[in-house]
Amino acid sequence: MFNITLIILFFQNTRKTLFSNFLNTIISLIFIIVINLICFKAFGWLIHNANWKVITSNLPLYAFGSFPPAEQWRPATWIFSLLSLSIITLFGPEWKWLRKNLLIAWAGTIPLGLYLLYGGIGISPIMSRHFGGLTLSILLTTCSSLFSLPLGIILALCRQSSLPLIRKLSSIYIDVMRAVPLISVLFFGQLLIPLFMPVGIEIDRVWRAIFAFTLFVSAYIAEDIRGGLQSIPSTQIEAASSLGLNKYQIIQFILIPQALRIALPALTNQSIGLFQNTSLMAILGLVELLGVGRSILANPEFIGQYIEVYIWLACVYWFVCTIMAVLARHLEQRMKINQANF
Amino acid sequence: MKSSRKIFVQFVICMIFFSVIGILVNNLTVNLIRTGLGFNFNWLIKPASFALAEYPLPYSPSDSYAWALFIGWLNSLKVIISSLLVSTLLGTIIGFARTGKNSLLSFLSAGYITIIRQTPLLLQLMFWYFVGFLGLKDDMSIHIKDIFKISNQGIELSVFTLTSEFSALLLGLSIFTSAYIAEVIRGGILSVPRGQWEAFRSLGVSERKGLISIIIPQALPAIIPGLTSQYLNLAKNSTLAIAVGYSDIYAINDTIINQTGRAIECFMILLTSFLVLNLLISNSMEIINRIIINARKYN
Repeated sequence: MFNITLIILFFQNTRKTLFSNFLNTIISLIFIIVINLICFKAFGWLIHNANWKVITSNLPLYAFGSFPPAEQWRPATWIFSLLSLSIITLFGPEWKWLRKNLLIAWAGTIPLGLYLLYGGIGISPIMSRHFGGLTLSILLTTCSSLFSLPLGIILALCRQSSLPLIRKLSSIYIDVMRAVPLISVLFFGQLLIPLFMPVGIEIDRVWRAIFAFTLFVSAYIAEDIRGGLQSIPSTQIEAASSLGLNKYQIIQFILIPQALRIALPALTNQSIGLFQNTSLMAILGLVELLGVGRSILANPEFIGQYIEVYIWLACVYWFVCTIMAVLARHLEQRMKINQANF
Repeated sequence: MKSSRKIFVQFVICMIFFSVIGILVNNLTVNLIRTGLGFNFNWLIKPASFALAEYPLPYSPSDSYAWALFIGWLNSLKVIISSLLVSTLLGTIIGFARTGKNSLLSFLSAGYITIIRQTPLLLQLMFWYFVGFLGLKDDMSIHIKDIFKISNQGIELSVFTLTSEFSALLLGLSIFTSAYIAEVIRGGILSVPRGQWEAFRSLGVSERKGLISIIIPQALPAIIPGLTSQYLNLAKNSTLAIAVGYSDIYAINDTIINQTGRAIECFMILLTSFLVLNLLISNSMEIINRIIINARKYN
């Protein structure tokens, strides 16, 4: 019985929202027809015309680039550990010791990833020019966000400093970085940093890219955190200083934790944007996810299969971005709960 | 902090800053001397000797580098302004559809916004260029009589033609930015209190008239700042033109660096031209903002 009322309610609702007047009815009908046509065409294409061999036969290439095949278990382990850690964070049991150690586990993934990729003690070292595919995209994202967060916090604090010189310098830096396009900063990283280095010192391309991303993203993060800092009421600072905390303690225990929590949604958007923007390195010569797609399309065997490759890449980007967004929402909710317990 | 200590700290920071800059510049001069390049802008007046696919002003390969750069800047401006208009139009429609009563439209536009925002712009640009335009076979074209025609040569309107590079860039940038603009518009409309809607409905004002004369004027002050930052993002994103082979300011700088090796000078030119572009956009938006605020005052 309950189901029937629900269905009737649904139809009434549809009538109200889709067919409320003449114009609305026409618009809805046109859109329903167009969507049906598109779906039929798309399904027909997917079943009859699409040739997914370009994806299935190149899966290791998309995931690891030109990493030596014998060592591909290393990036695979890393990606797998990241994925399983996300699943544990989202759906894992609510054990207290587990929740406490999750943050340490997340922080540990970056050194683990660097160790597994570069090699060193116990496993054979591998040059960074063999990195590629999704592994490289994730490496660029994680390392740059790790470095740009503290830099962004420092810049935001400097911009609010009482010393005019520091304030001016950091605001000039932030404004200039926000005014130039990312690709020019990355270009600076790839072409100009070697010119600024002393003769004989060379930094490899991956680290130059991470450096450029850090420079760029930290300016944006600084602005987000400044927004967080400004929304903290000044009574907090007064209360803290009347309790006898000194300047650095106030910054460390009062300002930064609250500012970070307020800025968290904006910071999430920055890191999702950063992951998407790692695709720019495809133009500048690093073979990350999009770069792999381009090089596969240049292969005579798969020539012209643009649609399959691009749809596949879009799905991968979409998937990773969604995971990041869901994780961030989870973090936001946990922080809200903590605040309520306070 | 005491003022004498403040001055001392600032002095120390100043010294550190200038010594780091000094070391970097020293490295740079050593490297430039080593590669035999030096630092000057005399090369700007030499003939560029590369062809450009499209130029709004007359250009030939025998013209100077400076002229080529200026043409590139104009090309950038052209694509920015046209996609700015298209994306505003598209974003407004989608934003209204997202907030409107028709749940099908609202669902569709929500899906559109999510898909567009979760995939990289570069991928979208390549999709529109390689699949949307170059993917069309030579004999395949969509046309409505002689007025409008889409083929792998680009879009042909009766009066003028757009090359396929320009059209792909225009389409990609507009669609990408429109998703963000739709969110800005939606936020603006939602920022108008519900009571305003109820008030004009209870006064018997028609839905359309109420939207135009009650809701939009109140939503605009919330929309304009978001819109400005989206326009600035659009200008910055237009540098991805190099991926589809459109000769904008970045692509031309890239060509010149490959030809002459003048990386430092070209980089400075690129930065300056972008600062000028940014100032242009933010100042004109500031003027629009002031006009809107004034208009509200006199009402």
